[in-house]
Amino acid sequence: MAELAERPFPPGDYPVVVVGSGPGGLQASYFLRQLGVEHAVISADLGAGGMFRRFPFFQRLLSWTKPYAPVSRTERWYEWYDWNSLLAAEPHNRSIMPELMDGTSSFPSRPEMEANLVEFARRTALQVRYDCRWASTRRDGELFVLRTSDGEYRCRAAVFAVGVAQPWKPDTPGFDSAVHYADISPAEQYAGKRLFIVGKENSAFELATGLLPWAQRIVLASPRPAKLSVNSHSLAGVRARYIQPVEDEILGGGVFILNASISRVERMGGGFRVHCLRSEGGGELVVEADEVIAATGWTCPLADLADIGVTLFGRSMLPSMTNYWESATVPGIYFAGTIGQGAAGMKKYGLPANSGAVHGSRYNTRVMVHHLARTKFGIEPDRPSIPSDRVTDYLLEEATTAPELWNQKSYLARALSLDPAEGVRDDGIVPLADFVDMEGTAAVAIAVETDDSGDIHPAVYVRRAGRPAVETLLQSHPLHDFRGADNHARVAALLKEATGGAIR
Amino acid sequence: MPVSSSEKAAALSAVPLFAGITPESMMRLAEVAGEQDFPAGSFIVRQGQVGTGLYVILSGSVRVLRGAEELARLGPGDFFGELSVIDQQPRIASVQAETDARCLALASWDLLALLEGDTQLAQNMIRGLVARLRASGEHHHH
Amino acid sequence: MALSQQQLVDMLGGLSLFADLSRPQLEQVAHKMAEESYPAGQRILRQGFSGTGFYVILDGEVAIRIDGEERARLAKGDFFGEMSVLLGEPPVADVVALRQLHVLHLGGPELEGFLRDHPPVMFRMLKAVALRLRNASRWRS
Repeated sequence: MAELAERPFPPGDYPVVVVGSGPGGLQASYFLRQLGVEHAVISADLGAGGMFRRFPFFQRLLSWTKPYAPVSRTERWYEWYDWNSLLAAEPHNRSIMPELMDGTSSFPSRPEMEANLVEFARRTALQVRYDCRWASTRRDGELFVLRTSDGEYRCRAAVFAVGVAQPWKPDTPGFDSAVHYADISPAEQYAGKRLFIVGKENSAFELATGLLPWAQRIVLASPRPAKLSVNSHSLAGVRARYIQPVEDEILGGGVFILNASISRVERMGGGFRVHCLRSEGGGELVVEADEVIAATGWTCPLADLADIGVTLFGRSMLPSMTNYWESATVPGIYFAGTIGQGAAGMKKYGLPANSGAVHGSRYNTRVMVHHLARTKFGIEPDRPSIPSDRVTDYLLEEATTAPELWNQKSYLARALSLDPAEGVRDDGIVPLADFVDMEGTAAVAIAVETDDSGDIHPAVYVRRAGRPAVETLLQSHPLHDFRGADNHARVAALLKEATGGAIR
Repeated sequence: MPVSSSEKAAALSAVPLFAGITPESMMRLAEVAGEQDFPAGSFIVRQGQVGTGLYVILSGSVRVLRGAEELARLGPGDFFGELSVIDQQPRIASVQAETDARCLALASWDLLALLEGDTQLAQNMIRGLVARLRASGEHHHH
Repeated sequence: MALSQQQLVDMLGGLSLFADLSRPQLEQVAHKMAEESYPAGQRILRQGFSGTGFYVILDGEVAIRIDGEERARLAKGDFFGEMSVLLGEPPVADVVALRQLHVLHLGGPELEGFLRDHPPVMFRMLKAVALRLRNASRWRS
């Protein structure tokens, strides 16, 4: 009993409980504390870091942090160059990642990333009850009751930041004998082996790249062709650092990439026979392999949340959620970190935001926590006044420099309300999909967007009182400085029209 | 005066519906398309008839009618009649030559065969239908 | 509702748009399109906005509204968004989820390639659009 009491947040009643101690859980706790919302943080892990305590296996992260950048590390603009640090208001708690990198690369290694998160928790003195596993959930009137390995927690609101971290394999016959990415052995154990990797996204290619020096032969297979980020001109698709296997296939270097679905996996002797159905036709192909590895993705480890009404969707079993990352079916349940990708947003041109990565989700989590604090606990945000002759400049400055807008294109926006009664007020960073559909007082929002040609430009959304917002796309600029005269004139004209001349 | 194959091909390639189709499809089109002349006032197709083909206007102008109501006017390069080709249902409107008009006529079976072989043509067809759907949505009659 | 991969592929095979595809082709379609979920009241297509995509409804119902007035409803198996994508013009209507909506989404720039890769889907779409035109019963033969 004495041991239980020494760890923070013993079981009991708290206004909010945060589950998880990866980037999402830590970031949520930081902002809850900043807003004065009392809460507990519990985690099944033994230390901070979340998925970065184990993954990625072979390579560095796909997200960069530039130790030397055009701006100082304590400024907001440095967030452009640092996709791995968590957000904080205090200068000494910001931009921790570059302090821990050894300078050989602008992409941290896994241990460096884990250290970054551990250090953030330490410096900000965030408390977490580690080694406390959330097992089940039920409702008790207005409250949620979370049963854990240490006992029960009751709360008015719960924030689940448990990641998309549960290995998932399709229910194809014989797949249970395939090893998931999460459980592979050290690289040397694959020396001289014929490998069959199911999947063609980043984790499959990461494995293939890491095992190229060891495997005798590598076959990669999935129904559709690989989508490469260099072709899609975005970060959607297999990233450049993992496409060596594609070149190896072209050079005839023992790599084969198939478009096929797997109909079954058969054990044979000491190995496997994988029965494939080629997507382009041509019948069945049987491939022999010594090891079959399923790089088939992950699901959300949401325990029994579905039993209290949380709807899940998709292969990854993501929860259906509102634009503020609250469960669409059980109000009071919120999501932080990578699970926030369940809120698709506008996805213009089919391009997703970066909600699955730290440099996107850290902003989502900040917005979510502010929303939770306001709607559940009546904590109203500051809404500074903006002088009417500064409005256009401010909007274009945000489009040119705001890391929230740049990292979450067409997803997060800076919103200002234009209610004539109170003058122009800064409503902060908001989810764009929520802003454009809301009908309320006059308001304007600016976002940064891109299209299928890769052009990056601001977009202004003007809402007149009682009507949904109208979109206006602005001009791009070769150096991404959107503050030119043309854009200025356009925005000024839109504002003048929206406010009947009050702003010009 | 009969129109030569190459003149037909030239007229066809100016029609947006056939933009970007393969040279083989274009050749086949020119072979199977027959030209027909319609004096001013005559009906090219009638509402309620079973449709047998699609028409491309080479010269002249036509009126699209439902009963007495004129829905549209079409001119050189425009096409009509494709809906019945796709779904074999009766014509939903009549088309009457306003001036003397010359059209290329494409029989249903020929067009369907071409659609199956040429995905660009099918795509152009969808685009054409979709454009029409949008235009029709903007009318406010019932 | 969270479908397993097999269940998703089974369901796609039951939709008329994909009725002519073989199993491996259905799997390809399932892989190419993204599953998304939207709460009731959310707009999926927005009148006048750029960057729209193509959607197939897996579960739920949407209303098509022009200037606030409901014109039609779509449900499981129906598709929308192709008009704007194919014409390269913004939508002229809003499409709003009437209750929790589960869809497959293909980004606009990928639709043409997708239809070219799957001609049977294109023909089914052609027929569906022709039917819509006929029902709009306003156009020529």
